[in-house]
Amino acid sequence: MPTSVVDTTALLAIDIGTASTRALLFDVVNGCYRFLTSGSAPTTAGAPFFDVGEGVRRAIDEVEGAIGRRLIGNDGNLIMPSMADNSGVDILVATMSAGKPIKVVAVGLLEDVTLASARRLAATTYSQVVDIINLNDRRQTSDRINAIMHAHPELVIVAGGTDQGASKSVLDLIEAIGLASYLTPKTQTPYVLFAGNKELQKEVDSALGKNGKLRMAPNIRPTLSIEDISPAQQELSAIYRDIRSLQVGGMDELLSWSGNNFIPTATAFERIIRFLSKRYDPDKGVLGVDIGSQTTTIAAAFNGNGTVKVFPYLGVGIGSLGTLKKSKLENITRWLSREIADDIVQNYIYNKAIHPHSIPVSQEELAIEQALARQALRLAVRRSLSDFPQDIPRPASNLLPLFEPIVAAGSVISKAPTFGQALLMLLDGLQPTGITTIAVDQNNIASALGAVSKVNPLLAVQVIETNTFLNLGTVIAPVGNARYGTPILRVKMTNQSGAETVREVKYGTIEILPVKMGEKVRLHVRPLRNFDIGMGEAGKAGEVQAEGGVLGIVIDARGRPLRLSEDPKRRQRLILRWQQALR
Amino acid sequence: MLAPVKIITPLTYIQRERLLPIPGRVLARQGQEVTPADVVAECNSSPKYTILDIAEGLGVPANRADKLLQCKAGDAITKGDVIAGPVGLFQRVVRASHAGLVKIVGDGKVLIENKVSLFELKAGLDGTVAKIIPERGVVIETRGALLQGVWGNGQAGYGLIQLLLDGPADVLTADKLDVSVRGMIILGGYCQSPEVLKTAGEIPVKGLILGSMSSALIPLAKKVKYPVLIVDGFGQIPLNAAAYKLLTTINKKRDVTIHAQTYQTFTGERPEVIVSLPAPEHIEAHLRADDFAVGQKVYLINKSYTAQTGIIERILEKPIRFPSGIQSPAAEIRFSNNERVKVPLANLETFGEKNEQMTY
Repeated sequence: MPTSVVDTTALLAIDIGTASTRALLFDVVNGCYRFLTSGSAPTTAGAPFFDVGEGVRRAIDEVEGAIGRRLIGNDGNLIMPSMADNSGVDILVATMSAGKPIKVVAVGLLEDVTLASARRLAATTYSQVVDIINLNDRRQTSDRINAIMHAHPELVIVAGGTDQGASKSVLDLIEAIGLASYLTPKTQTPYVLFAGNKELQKEVDSALGKNGKLRMAPNIRPTLSIEDISPAQQELSAIYRDIRSLQVGGMDELLSWSGNNFIPTATAFERIIRFLSKRYDPDKGVLGVDIGSQTTTIAAAFNGNGTVKVFPYLGVGIGSLGTLKKSKLENITRWLSREIADDIVQNYIYNKAIHPHSIPVSQEELAIEQALARQALRLAVRRSLSDFPQDIPRPASNLLPLFEPIVAAGSVISKAPTFGQALLMLLDGLQPTGITTIAVDQNNIASALGAVSKVNPLLAVQVIETNTFLNLGTVIAPVGNARYGTPILRVKMTNQSGAETVREVKYGTIEILPVKMGEKVRLHVRPLRNFDIGMGEAGKAGEVQAEGGVLGIVIDARGRPLRLSEDPKRRQRLILRWQQALR
Repeated sequence: MLAPVKIITPLTYIQRERLLPIPGRVLARQGQEVTPADVVAECNSSPKYTILDIAEGLGVPANRADKLLQCKAGDAITKGDVIAGPVGLFQRVVRASHAGLVKIVGDGKVLIENKVSLFELKAGLDGTVAKIIPERGVVIETRGALLQGVWGNGQAGYGLIQLLLDGPADVLTADKLDVSVRGMIILGGYCQSPEVLKTAGEIPVKGLILGSMSSALIPLAKKVKYPVLIVDGFGQIPLNAAAYKLLTTINKKRDVTIHAQTYQTFTGERPEVIVSLPAPEHIEAHLRADDFAVGQKVYLINKSYTAQTGIIERILEKPIRFPSGIQSPAAEIRFSNNERVKVPLANLETFGEKNEQMTY
């Protein structure tokens, strides 16, 4: 038996999602940390319980039942630390995405500079910007007060003034916020997060600090050319926690169990993506996508530096109406491989928003939900492109940069009936470029690991090494366009025993190179007709080491950007063919 | 597993909060009997604010302007009242541009809350005020029939009910609406025509309860000036048997209240139809959350099934795979015709009835 290199620490992670609350248990097995089991129950943050505790206890009950280990004592409290009889846990971490997005008024001096930074900060958590205020909006102070009072924000984020920069203009904006806060009934006074000119903190404190809801963070725009929202993100997470504590019952108990190891799920998700980016190819980023009932989250990290963007009301459950409203119906139905009347699709989406927990029973229903997922991903990716660093390798500004790997989470992906369906949703929705590995967070564990990574990084490392993310396959996605059927790629694959396979791939197809899961092969990829496979320039060939996933190695030769036929019959025929290729 | 609840019952104990959007004044007293039209609380509807720059108006420095003020915080003012001054050779003054209330004075400025209209909160149902929530509203209790739906256009109303359907799958057409239903709440089956909503508004009716509606009509339904409540969902779905039975047996001489509010999964607010009835004191409330159990009457939320209500015959031990390919924990449901079907637990709602062991 190997000697343990770790302290034996049992850890329980609780994730309170919009639909489900999950409990995930980690412990040491044979000297290494392992994910043992999970339990889930409907989230009880809302009616009729208005107390997350019920859902948390039910999820923990499931864990206890699955593993035959007591976690809750006779007094109803979590057994902590763990006992000699193996009951209890030593650490609890919690993440949360449940609840309506926090209503935010974003304030900055210039629309494209500090206001844009304030909006980006707001987008790192579950929030919805309900109004914006900036110097150029031409409103009088009284109009700004009226706007704030009308918006009923729960949080006002103020950015503005580079360090040693503008002060009077910032204080003018602060005046409106101060007066609006004064006029708002005490129970509805918003939090204010000031992340502007650091020289103004004292004056801001004297203007807004009286009600105890003012928080300070380092300037998110210390100079015109530098944006640094990470420190303010931590303060925002704390505000998120405080707001949820006021809104939802049971939070006090959860916070006491977790010792304040409580962060928004999206923050935890970004953290694990950042963590992964330090372990993979430093020339490429790591991309994480989490598509949920209410929100879609896009997290990306480049050599340890992360970005995250949360899209409220863009999902496949409660957020399905948002997905519909932000698109034309035809942008959803274009992903269907069969003819389904528009009214049936639209009615289904409205019914899904009413019953977000419901499960598609027929193939037609599943096709609509997967089409929704594709469209939600498309919208989220398109709106994230400008937030990625400009100096990273990407084939074109309107395409996804080169990532290695891409990790996808969310039940619509992880619980898809086949791996092929999961991969095709991701290929259509994300449209990755070049050569990348696509993995699925099959146990929906990524956010928990992100939360864990701060208190026990070794646990996160060791659990990731146990293939907790299921490799769907290495994907080769050449960038370019050609006529359907034109050869665009020649691939020579050499396996470990030296056997060679050569394949010429035609434009408009998806092909699979059969490689066993985990098997390593050498690929020589030669793009034809000036297609770009991410080797530095269009038309350039290259050799890479690749690993087979559950679907082997997948060549997505449909071109980038993916253009779907305008002719419905032809489009549906092709989609069906792509589905069959990944069956 | 925790089951969501949709209540459709001829008799239950009902408690509903009626709250102002912002703090205001509660007018009702605890124990007071109320009717739907009674105003139970009021507040100023979203006040607007104006800042008067007195210093600039009088042409003096801010600290001097403060000394020339003719009002203080808390003063009620009317339009044209002198706020500050007179000063100078021409006896300059600053007058109020709006009627309102002075909220803050200082630094040469006056902030005025403009006078606004009152927002009146109505009881919305027949009942008794069970509790006062200071500055916010009341809790009203009643006993009677309760039907919860899935969608509402945000409006409320009450009146006598008129049935315009021959069966649960009936389609409501505009030609069924005429002056004989003026001022009434209409119960219809499926609605797919905008003409129905337009004609109902022209008559006008006091409300429309529909089994189902085409989602294409939602924009129009949000515009009409009477409440529209959908019981089962969007698309052509027959009115569920429990709702059909309840609504077709309501005493036609009793007022029916519709709260066609938006379904909020987080707050639990659902569009509802309430009919207050004389009933014994001991009637208990239905459960608002429940665990699935054999013998329970359930509502099927997926329109793939021929009937929408049934009884849990057994809860399957292991998840099963459905035609979509998705695996899910499931239950076997028996319909009234003894047909049996396996349904994901996630696609079921219970009726929140206590200790129920239902038989047909």
